[in-house]
Amino acid sequence: MELLNLSIRELNKLFITKKTKPSELYSEIFNRSASSEAALHAHLSLFEETNLVKAKKSDERFSKSENVGLLDGIPLAIKDNINIKDEKTTCSSKMLSNFVSPYNATVISKLDTEQTIYTGKTNLDEFAMGSSTENSAFGLTRNPWNTDYVPGGSSGGSAASVASRSSIAALGSDTGGSIRQPASFCGLVGFKPTYGSVSRYGLVAFASSLDQIGPISKSVDDARIVYSAISGHDSLDSTSINYEQIELPFEKNATIGIVKELMEDGISEESKKEVEKVIDILKLKGYNIKEVSLPLIKLSISIYYLIAPAECSANLARFDGVRYGLRVDGKTSYEMMENTRAEGFGNEVKRRILLGTYALSAGYYDEYYGKALRARKKMVDEFSTIFKECDYLISPTTPTEAFKAGEKTNNPLEMYMSDLCTIPANLAGLPAISIPTGLSSNNLPLGVQIMSKPLTDNSLLDFSEMLEKELEFYSTPEGWSK
Amino acid sequence: MNLKPTIGIETHIELNTNTKMFCRCRVVDTEEPNVNLCPTCLGLPGALPVPNEKAIRYITLLALATGCSITKKGMFHRKNYFYPDLPKNYQISQFDLPVGENGNLEIVIDNEKDYVEIERVHMEEDTGKSSHEGSGRIDSATSTSLDFNRSGIPLVEIVTKPVIKSSKEAVAYIEELRQLAIELEISEGKLEKGNLRFDANISVAPSESNELGTKVEIKNMNSLRSLERAIDFEIKRQSSALENGDIIIQETRHWDESKETTTSMRSKEGSADYRYFSDPDIPNMVLTDEFINQIKENLPSLPHENRNKLTETGLGLSDSNVLSKSEKWIFELYFEVFNNTKDSKASFNWITGELQGQMRKLEIKSLPNWFSPNFLSDVIKLIDENKISFTSGKVILEELIQMDTTPDEIAKRLDLYQENDEVAISKIVNEIIDNNQDIVERIKNGEDKLVGFMVGQIIKSSGGSINPGMAKEILSKELNL
Amino acid sequence: MSKKFDITNIAKLASISLSDDEKEKLSNDLSVIIEHVQALSDLELDTNIEDVYIHPLEKVLALDDDTEKPSLTHDEAMSNAPKVSDGKFIVPPSLE
Ligand SMILES: [Mg+2]
Ligand SMILES: [Zn+2]
Repeated sequence: MELLNLSIRELNKLFITKKTKPSELYSEIFNRSASSEAALHAHLSLFEETNLVKAKKSDERFSKSENVGLLDGIPLAIKDNINIKDEKTTCSSKMLSNFVSPYNATVISKLDTEQTIYTGKTNLDEFAMGSSTENSAFGLTRNPWNTDYVPGGSSGGSAASVASRSSIAALGSDTGGSIRQPASFCGLVGFKPTYGSVSRYGLVAFASSLDQIGPISKSVDDARIVYSAISGHDSLDSTSINYEQIELPFEKNATIGIVKELMEDGISEESKKEVEKVIDILKLKGYNIKEVSLPLIKLSISIYYLIAPAECSANLARFDGVRYGLRVDGKTSYEMMENTRAEGFGNEVKRRILLGTYALSAGYYDEYYGKALRARKKMVDEFSTIFKECDYLISPTTPTEAFKAGEKTNNPLEMYMSDLCTIPANLAGLPAISIPTGLSSNNLPLGVQIMSKPLTDNSLLDFSEMLEKELEFYSTPEGWSK
Repeated sequence: MNLKPTIGIETHIELNTNTKMFCRCRVVDTEEPNVNLCPTCLGLPGALPVPNEKAIRYITLLALATGCSITKKGMFHRKNYFYPDLPKNYQISQFDLPVGENGNLEIVIDNEKDYVEIERVHMEEDTGKSSHEGSGRIDSATSTSLDFNRSGIPLVEIVTKPVIKSSKEAVAYIEELRQLAIELEISEGKLEKGNLRFDANISVAPSESNELGTKVEIKNMNSLRSLERAIDFEIKRQSSALENGDIIIQETRHWDESKETTTSMRSKEGSADYRYFSDPDIPNMVLTDEFINQIKENLPSLPHENRNKLTETGLGLSDSNVLSKSEKWIFELYFEVFNNTKDSKASFNWITGELQGQMRKLEIKSLPNWFSPNFLSDVIKLIDENKISFTSGKVILEELIQMDTTPDEIAKRLDLYQENDEVAISKIVNEIIDNNQDIVERIKNGEDKLVGFMVGQIIKSSGGSINPGMAKEILSKELNL
Repeated sequence: MSKKFDITNIAKLASISLSDDEKEKLSNDLSVIIEHVQALSDLELDTNIEDVYIHPLEKVLALDDDTEKPSLTHDEAMSNAPKVSDGKFIVPPSLE
């Protein structure tokens, strides 16, 4: 029995039946994360000491049958842009290399009530800006399937942690695909919930109208368990919603749309093949399949790279060396702030801040930001129309398999293009999931993305789980399976 | 050259909510720095804003009370600029969709009504407070220290159109606005505490010109004295510049209270580009008809309505204006006293003159609970009926404030009731005439001013109980004057 | 649409000091991206700006009532400060 390959439900059953204990699981997890670190660099910190205490307490609860629930004693990795009180939150930035959060993100407060264990903080592209985890001030993370390749990003550390079995599941954040793309690159499930269904309070903001926290896991069921624990209305986040899930059909009577624009140029043959494989399965099961067109998807990168930088230019203004974080001195406050920001931010972050500042500046607002907002609205309308005919939309998660480290670092635009399939769901606030479907000829994972209308997260998970079973694809990267 | 000044005023009023605008930190009044902070108002990474319902209610209240039209679908905007006392380096404010627009406020100057047009009423959050160590110039200042207690306190900003014509009018406007905020109970309205802070935009142009001159903004004043002097100074400065053929530079200036001049604030490089955009952390704000109507129905009596009620009692506009801006209990006392005496002038004078004067002298802020409004009415009536002298009235009032008694008791105890019996007074008058024949001679020879001396003698010999008016009347009759 | 922009002014607005090399490099990167986003210029769009807010629910603004919630202690608030004196954050002079 390989403990680290088990699902949350299976582990919980072993705890309840006293076949194993949370502390035993934790020590395996810790050994794995510590030993994988040199090759992968998935983590920025590991909380061994506190966790030994937490795991022991969890043991006691199970021995007295006073356990709290499915996540009691389960080690989850947390992306390092989510605040855990009294731990560092660095966002992989020099700016925050010494910042210790004095408060908990709402998702952490919620997981605390579940008695979850946090293995540590995972690496990311600085302030979640990137698609490869190469933009980390503390060194890049590597793909457990092949360490020459990137794990994707920005939640690359979380994906590498779960894929290498250094944690059971992980929290990531997804602004333009930052959960789904690394999940796909690492052969995992990555779920971005409906915008507003998981509180953003305590998640260091990149682009407020797009950011959403979600799980990266080995299975859809694990994603569902974590999602149930972290979702729900939060009075500390004005965009958080008090909602009831809308149910969609997921058996034969459901209609599946194949997004035409995401099966055209720029998408690799291998990525398309995975979608076709899924279509074949669904056809066999008797689903109604149709091709649909959302023309504005072609402009989604342009829309995204105006809106996200504009929001980030203001969101990251607070990093000024006055109250916390790095300070590089200057003769005046203004010089100090300019010097601090010059030193504290990496290239990609500077690029986006400057782009956003430009897009919002006097004389350009209507031309760029205002236009992007209107185009975004139009795209939302296109989705609404399509969702009158379809229940689920299927596309590749990424245009290609994982790329090699260093391959795209000198070409920002090419890097941005790798988010083509995932960005639309963020722009429209839709729930979207990536599930692994198979391996490429290079023996790297591939996945498909499924989107559905807002507030249908539970149905989307049910549908994905059905597909996951039919696909019968469950593989672990070599060397990390034992 | 005939020149005319034009002034527009932007006022920030601190709202007296229990908690801040976008977080639920309690607003505290303390000198202790950085004690009421949370991740949101300190701008920590990951913190988010949640608007305060009461603040929105208060701002809507003020917008309605100034006759503004209400924007039902409103937005919060980020105003971006870097300043060390601004934690997020953007201020959440409102840009093109303020809560209220196009209102006006009635003011009183020189016994006449006037109206100041309001351009907009909108929400803002306050910044932290900077104090500058070292001397006043940046090249010699050593450091700046920051206290963020004030950060995030809700403000309402009221912007007038450029319609104010003098410093006097500006002061009347601020006084009216302050009173309005107090009546609406949305602010303490304490200028000395910085509850109201104002910026004035001043320009001067030839009288016959239809266009405004180049405007100069004077920032951040919080006393009426500063406002008045800064405006007067700036009008003079700009006028003489224009007369000398100089050009006025559009800039921000600072009023230096000690030197009584305005000085140019070093303009930041480039023009201010605030890059306003709708705050994605806060959904659009929809003010429902229900919300607006509920506020409308609960509007209290506004200062101009109070002023009208006062003029209806016969009081002049100027006095009514003064009274409408006094504390509530004074305003209410006036009506109680007036209803008993029907003498508006006496009621006003006794309350604003004698009563408040005595209280100031005794250093008491409110009347003792035994003090009934009827006491004041009684005193006024006793004087009107010649039963006591004006001076005695003052003596009685002074005692009434300090001990639990009644006007009648005091008058009796101190023997202040005046003799009004003509026979009794005649008797005394004749005694005095008999004893002062030489004076009587001189009066008859035309030395009129000695009448006063005789009246004084009469009152003195009666121990002060004789009504001076009657004494004089009887004396004149006896002497056939 | 204009492709040329004043990197010095933008950097000033963003409060980031840039070396000349960085200015050159970032200008080039940004030109490429701005060129790409020009694609939007052909779109005919006339939606009112107050109608572009995107959210899964139509009307969400839940205003919070005016009730105090726990805050940070003074020590927590100051715990990450680069420079502190007498309970205040200290920065280089900021007078204008
Ligand atoms: Mg303002
Ligand atoms: Zn606060």
